[in-house]
Amino acid sequence: MRYIFKFPDIGEGIAEGKILTWYVKKGQAIKAGDPLVKMETDKVVTDIPSPREGVIAAVFGSEGEVINVGDPLVEIEIEGVEGEAAQEVAAEAAETRKHLTEEPIDEKGFGVVGTLEVAGDSAYLPAGEEGRPAPAAPAEAPLKKSLATPVARAMAKDMGIDIDRVPGTGPGARVLKKDIASYYENIQKGKGKPKGEAAPPVSPVEYQPLSQIRKTIAKNMTRSKHNAAHMTVFEEVEVSALVRLRTDYKEKFAKEGLKFSYMPFIIKAAAEGLKSHPVLNSELDLENDRMIYKKNYNINIAVDTAEGLVVPVVRDADRLSIREITIKIAEIAEKARERKLTLEDMKDGTFTVTNYGAIAGTYGVPVINYPQAAILGIGRILKEPVVKNDEIVVGHVLPLSLSVDHRIVDGGDAARFLLRVKELLSDPVSLLLV
Amino acid sequence: MAFDLIIIGSGPAGYVAAIRAGQVGLKTAIIEKSKIGGMCLNWGCIPTKALLESAKKLEAVKGAAAFGIDGIDKDKLTFNWPTALKRSDRIVKRLTKGVEFLLKKNGVEIIAGDAEITSQTSVTVDNRLLETKYIMIASGSRPEPPGYTLPKGMTIGIGYLLQLEQLPEKPSVLGSGPHAVELAQFFKMAGKDVKMLVPGSEEDFLPGMDPYLVDFVKKTFKKSKIDILFFSTLEGGSGGGLSVDGTEVACDGLINALGRKAVIPSSRIEFELEDGFLKVDDFLRTNYENIYAVGDVNGRSYLAHAASAQGLHAVNVIGGFKEPFDDTRVPLNMYTSPEIASVGFSEPEVEELGYSYKVTEFPLTANGKALIEGHTEGLVRIISEKKYGEVLGVQIVAEHATDMIAEAALVLRLEGTVFDVANTIHAHPTVSEIFMEAGFAAFDQPIHK
Repeated sequence: MRYIFKFPDIGEGIAEGKILTWYVKKGQAIKAGDPLVKMETDKVVTDIPSPREGVIAAVFGSEGEVINVGDPLVEIEIEGVEGEAAQEVAAEAAETRKHLTEEPIDEKGFGVVGTLEVAGDSAYLPAGEEGRPAPAAPAEAPLKKSLATPVARAMAKDMGIDIDRVPGTGPGARVLKKDIASYYENIQKGKGKPKGEAAPPVSPVEYQPLSQIRKTIAKNMTRSKHNAAHMTVFEEVEVSALVRLRTDYKEKFAKEGLKFSYMPFIIKAAAEGLKSHPVLNSELDLENDRMIYKKNYNINIAVDTAEGLVVPVVRDADRLSIREITIKIAEIAEKARERKLTLEDMKDGTFTVTNYGAIAGTYGVPVINYPQAAILGIGRILKEPVVKNDEIVVGHVLPLSLSVDHRIVDGGDAARFLLRVKELLSDPVSLLLV
Repeated sequence: MAFDLIIIGSGPAGYVAAIRAGQVGLKTAIIEKSKIGGMCLNWGCIPTKALLESAKKLEAVKGAAAFGIDGIDKDKLTFNWPTALKRSDRIVKRLTKGVEFLLKKNGVEIIAGDAEITSQTSVTVDNRLLETKYIMIASGSRPEPPGYTLPKGMTIGIGYLLQLEQLPEKPSVLGSGPHAVELAQFFKMAGKDVKMLVPGSEEDFLPGMDPYLVDFVKKTFKKSKIDILFFSTLEGGSGGGLSVDGTEVACDGLINALGRKAVIPSSRIEFELEDGFLKVDDFLRTNYENIYAVGDVNGRSYLAHAASAQGLHAVNVIGGFKEPFDDTRVPLNMYTSPEIASVGFSEPEVEELGYSYKVTEFPLTANGKALIEGHTEGLVRIISEKKYGEVLGVQIVAEHATDMIAEAALVLRLEGTVFDVANTIHAHPTVSEIFMEAGFAAFDQPIHK
């Protein structure tokens, strides 16, 4: 029997995804669990495994194409399953899908720095089908079929063109012979020019399609700026003690292959600060006229990648040691750069730390990772003259920028939180004792 | 009162365009100086085919004894020209009335009179000034005078033929196209001693038609004893007949079916011409963007159905349609006996276009319906492209070829292949089954061969 496997709802309201790489082709035998395709959604890049063992009968969609949840991905020929058994398989597929859609949806707060929220939010993206009863998946969902003339079909097949992608110019958008010819010509043109041809004039602008990540960042930034009343407080912390501590233990960590940075201390300090100032670890739920105070301290950290910023999460930072946070950061940073982050790595954040100072910059005005209540920006630590015991000495100054949603966080709360963070960072040993 | 569209001429180009324009809501007027329906309805397609049908009936009755009809005295059978003419007139009247009704029904104003184009947006008819956004010239064509020195009263135009009280006994048909061939056969069937006079040489006979069909016509003429004389000089003969290349040919009427020339309405603005016809672009526009020329007057075709298609296309272009007019798939019919029809490319054309092609044919000899009807002369030829099997051209010789060609025209329009032709279920018994068989022959074996 033939079984059409559709792009599943991989959770969190993802509505569409871009096909990056096909791992399988027509005629290839596969086992259940074998990766079929690498997909980029607005949140993650992930492999979609095959739900069944069989032979690939057809592959739908080409690399680079954006498809919706529910669109067919592959058709699998499952050997030896006929009749009733075939129906069972179909029912099973429907069941699986149902499970996926019935999972509770909790996608508050992960995302990209300063923006960040969740891509699947129904206000911005098509809602998909979550929450609705799963339709009985038809075993053979017909593909959208183009109207085309017989010769056009024969040509498309011959040239390896998916005729459903060719815009038709005939009556009723029928695809004609000439449409295939011009489509083919365009493809050929796109494959580079023969050598010796004069270089085309340089255009003053270049157009590039938006990546899913960039689309999400754009939407989320706008949403945050539109909804939250941003207010930013700046503070300086003298962190000579922290610098000393790091210098002392850097080597030791390096021996274990770990990069010992200031980030774990800042994350830990932030988590502690949040514990005593819960309003910064909260969310405004206007729809229900209430506040949501979060009892876990999941700190998003902004990671700069080639495609754009992503914001994986360090879960329960309050309960992790500095060493554990160090390991966790190394792990997610690497995943982020290799684009292997999963939804699990990104969801449920409650507060965000962005460390632009790692590159350059002292102060910034970070944009809240909406709907979180606040975001802490870390500037570059600079050696500066500071006054200690009425004497001017060389100190290490860490600039902090805290943006809060002023609708729920008052100036006093913000300042008190900053003060607490400042205390903890200027006396790092206290962080080890909490 | 301003119009959206003024159409000059109510032949198959003009009246079809006018009805369509009315249907899509254009305020339209059609100007006709003679009879509604133009050449086609009044002096061309319809009456000539009606008369041809009378002649064919005579042939059929002559052969009816073999079908089991007794009581036919062949010696008493004659062709009654006046009666045949009356019948033809009735058909013409009925059709022209129908056209008039349709024009009115669709809100088209019919204006009788001579049109003069006075500016890019105005036309006068007998001192009445009509303003308009668009003008469509559909004024048709007329036969070119023969250009030979001939005895007075010898030459008969096609229009005049229909007014004759009796047919000439020894007619000659002057011309080289399908109409000339039809007329020659008509006279033969009506029992007249007819000759066909073709200016030039063998190659000038039925220009543009597939050589295979040309050969077929020549053979048919030979069988039915119609002489085709190719000539370079033609003049009056000493015995009251004709002298063709110096040879005396008995003739009491020369039917002029030579080339045609455009009838261009008088105009105060200048139009660009090409070989005496109004020059149009691919969208059937003249050198003025809002003035169209459709039908014979633009010289692209002399066929009524091509003219109608052009008229419709021009209205569509006015409505914003952006495709050029495609006249590669116009069927060409000859109402001979048997009929001949073709559509698409001829063999020399596909060769010139560089196609890798094949020609498959299937004869009528074993076709049940053809045997039943007693018309087993004929065949279907399909010219198809080899790679995808696309049908590029179809030629049919059969008693009802002119009706059968519509199927082929549809296949071409839909870019169909020989596989589609072969796998289309054709009803049995029908003559059209041979089309399916020729389709099979293109990539496999025909069944009944």
